[in-house]
Amino acid sequence: MNERELDLQLIQRIQNGEQQAFALLVRKYQTRVANILTRYVRSSGDIPDVSQEVFIKVYKSLPNFRGDSAFYTWLFRITVNTAKNYLTSQSRRPPASDIDAEEADSYDGSGALKDEDNPESILHSQEVKQVILKVIGGLPDELKSAITLRELEGMSYDEIAQIENCPIGTVRSRIFRAREAIDKQLKPLLEN
Amino acid sequence: MKEYSQDLSSLIDNEFDDQEIIDAVLGDVELQQQFSRYQLIGDVLREESDGLDLRVDVTDSVMAAIAGEMQDDNVVPLTTPEKQDTNVVPFMKRFGQYAIAASVAGVVVVSSLIVNQDNATDASSTPVLNTVPFGGAAAPVSLQATPAQTENDIKERNERLEALMKDHQLQLQTKP
Repeated sequence: MNERELDLQLIQRIQNGEQQAFALLVRKYQTRVANILTRYVRSSGDIPDVSQEVFIKVYKSLPNFRGDSAFYTWLFRITVNTAKNYLTSQSRRPPASDIDAEEADSYDGSGALKDEDNPESILHSQEVKQVILKVIGGLPDELKSAITLRELEGMSYDEIAQIENCPIGTVRSRIFRAREAIDKQLKPLLEN
Repeated sequence: MKEYSQDLSSLIDNEFDDQEIIDAVLGDVELQQQFSRYQLIGDVLREESDGLDLRVDVTDSVMAAIAGEMQDDNVVPLTTPEKQDTNVVPFMKRFGQYAIAASVAGVVVVSSLIVNQDNATDASSTPVLNTVPFGGAAAPVSLQATPAQTENDIKERNERLEALMKDHQLQLQTKP
């Protein structure tokens, strides 16, 4: 199953009345949405509000989603439009280097207009990143390799199994153990 | 209780076949939070979260806003009362048509009786139809005299009227 199929399954559940399935979509995509918004919304304090507006628009428009394009491409388009509307309401112009839906899958947000007036959030973000990298650095090589190939290279379990010369079940287990080790350190940091 | 953490990790990677894990996550808040953290690990490693306040999670506020909007949508608007079905309009519609048809037929019959009367008949012999205006005299509507109608003309007109009436009756009968 690929990402597109999972998203479609969740959308079908939402359309059948399982509202919690939408919560899962929000959890899955909120960081990516916020990342796109940083290109338009200068004040980090406004990003949660605009993000919320994006997801409410998405929810309302879901009956019109036909699945012709990937959900993320569609979400990306709504995010950019909402951000532009936000700028208009703030009487500001969109950035000169605009982005469109075709770039959705490859957009990494580098060079975006990051908010730098909130040192506390930057410090926290850096701390989270350091913890994750530190835990990964201390993992056994096979776990480190599995999580890196999956998260950074975007490889499937099958591809990783071929590279690592091990069964898919082993890859599944290694990636999970790596995440479990990181999560143990990450959870208290996010709760605090 | 079944431990779903490994299945959750597979779900994040879209590497699962069992739908059970989706059901489990949707019904368990702790699993949903764990899903968020697993997702965040990837986002941070891919540097998609740089510059963002990672303490902010909009899920709850989005779901609350949606629930609020749905509640608003369920309120029945006061200005649009539901239209009630009554038999009054269909009754009037159906029998009204018959009433109109009957009156038209009556008018036709009466007018044809008048027209068919002998032209030679003295006006004074039909006092009922010999109406005299209150003023004692009536001004002519038009100075142009109408040409005298032959019997054939009258017969033709009556036949045309009858055909029209039959057609009208037929239309009324065939109407649902």
